[in-house]
Amino acid sequence: MTWYAASLLLFGCLAVAFATGMPAAFSFFAINIVGAYQYLGGDAGLAQLVRNGVVSITNFSLTPIPFFILMGEVLFHTGVAMKAIDAIERLIRRVPGRLAVVAVVAGTVFSAISGSTIATTAMLGSLMLPEMLRRGYHPNMAMGPIMAIGGVDMLIPPSALTVLLGSLAGISISHLLVGGILPGLVLAAIFVAYIVVRAKANPALAPAFNEEKDQVSGWERWRPLIAYVVPLTLIFAVVIGAMAAGWATPTESAALGAVATVVVAALYRSLKLSSLMKALLGTAAISGVILFIIVGATTFAQILAFSGATNGLVAAVREASFGSWGVLLGMMLILLVLGCFIDQVSMMLLTLPFFMPLVQHYGFEPIWFGVLYLIAMQLGLLTPPFGLLLFTMKSVAPKHITIGQVYRAATPYVIFGLLMLVIVLLFPPLANWLPRVLLEK
Amino acid sequence: MKRAYHLLMHGCGVASALVIGVVVLLVTCDVVARNVGLGSFPWVVEVSEYSLPLATFLAAPWLLYKNEHVRVDILLTVLPVGVARQIDRAADVIGVAVCVVFVWYGIRVIADSMQLGSMIIKTLVFPEWWTFVPVPVCFALLAVEFVRRMLTGSGIVSGQLGSQ
Repeated sequence: MTWYAASLLLFGCLAVAFATGMPAAFSFFAINIVGAYQYLGGDAGLAQLVRNGVVSITNFSLTPIPFFILMGEVLFHTGVAMKAIDAIERLIRRVPGRLAVVAVVAGTVFSAISGSTIATTAMLGSLMLPEMLRRGYHPNMAMGPIMAIGGVDMLIPPSALTVLLGSLAGISISHLLVGGILPGLVLAAIFVAYIVVRAKANPALAPAFNEEKDQVSGWERWRPLIAYVVPLTLIFAVVIGAMAAGWATPTESAALGAVATVVVAALYRSLKLSSLMKALLGTAAISGVILFIIVGATTFAQILAFSGATNGLVAAVREASFGSWGVLLGMMLILLVLGCFIDQVSMMLLTLPFFMPLVQHYGFEPIWFGVLYLIAMQLGLLTPPFGLLLFTMKSVAPKHITIGQVYRAATPYVIFGLLMLVIVLLFPPLANWLPRVLLEK
Repeated sequence: MKRAYHLLMHGCGVASALVIGVVVLLVTCDVVARNVGLGSFPWVVEVSEYSLPLATFLAAPWLLYKNEHVRVDILLTVLPVGVARQIDRAADVIGVAVCVVFVWYGIRVIADSMQLGSMIIKTLVFPEWWTFVPVPVCFALLAVEFVRRMLTGSGIVSGQLGSQ
């Protein structure tokens, strides 16, 4: 079979399996069984399938994934997040679209603790959205910023998906984690500016209000910030610092961060055994979903390689005279389109076997490429029909909110994400300057 | 019966959560001990590696039971309910078939590895077949859950993501 027939067959079957609504992991398994029988040597191929499944996730570089997710879950289930939101709310006053701005700032702080975009979005959505809607915020103004900053969580370390990208693409995980910081912060700043401009132009979108606790001043205004927000940023400093100083690998600093989060919750007297268990169960669920897809998709990637599809496609791209920019833009376009339909983990496992040889061939700087990849992937969290955060928002929003409203709320922030992609494309230091300064002394 | 099944599935989730909790503690102890000069425990790295498949294969049946595995159900929601149900049932049948293959080959891989006496020799030394045991157990439970979905039609109710 020629390489294009093989790739058409494998990807075609996979698309059909996905469309039937079968869980993503099982779609891969089903195709793998047929593919392993055909390309990995019949009976022996199927035994190899089982071995591969176990080996694919027996990997030290993947262990930060559950740890980073645990940090966010602890923050959420212990109620520490609520206190931090309250503290930030006291500081931000007389700003148009105040609560939306608070959501973005709080989301940025949580991004620095939580390694899971789903946890951050669910956290802000369930804690802040009801209040915003009650105060007469337009659904777009209330939901959009929350989802947008949830997506940025993927760029700001700790981030489970960044770990996976580094591990699969063979890019330094600590460099990638640090590389996401600047683009993430710039995006958050753009969101705040947009909210303020919109709310100023049309105050009906975000009615202003005054409250007793807004009247506090001096120490009372700042105390909650020092008590509830500064310790959280210290956790972030521990995670990044331990990595940058070379004391700990990403896995180890992730574990340190998770334990630090639990300790902080205990110091606030917010830690109950039941909330810790809830956080651990939430972690098991989110990381279980991610890792189970890896079990299926890793073998799929191997079968693609054995069928000749990988080499065939990579060679075809190299021989066609697209030029390096053409290829890079093509890759980003593929990620954006895939992001509309499939989840981030499947996306990485499907594309990286093709992309990484091309990255090497054209000599793209790996950290820069990795950050571009992250931004493109982060957009997939917000693009309909299958944006993970859109569904997360729908599941925590009040019942009367339709999925259509959720889509509309996310739209402007998708455009800003695209803008960010272009900025980093044209200006690589935004991605790779900070990792150089911090990690290469 | 129903309650026992619920407990079994929930138990899988709790076990997976506890595995993660224990490994977090182990890794933390290791890094702290090393940096304060109490020496390091080289086996911790290996234990945390093997804990990932264990936690994942334990969580998978529980996640299917809760309908939390990521899936693209956009087509099912736009099709007429009758057609969607048919497609969903077909997906369940494929699910059972996949599980049967994994259970069968999982057992065979274990048997082969036992027969050859393959050992994993790193810091920890143990028989290789231990690492494959979660596979047939996980997929047997998954098969049961797929059959249950097929009989009750519970898969069609779209699952919600996240930790709630």
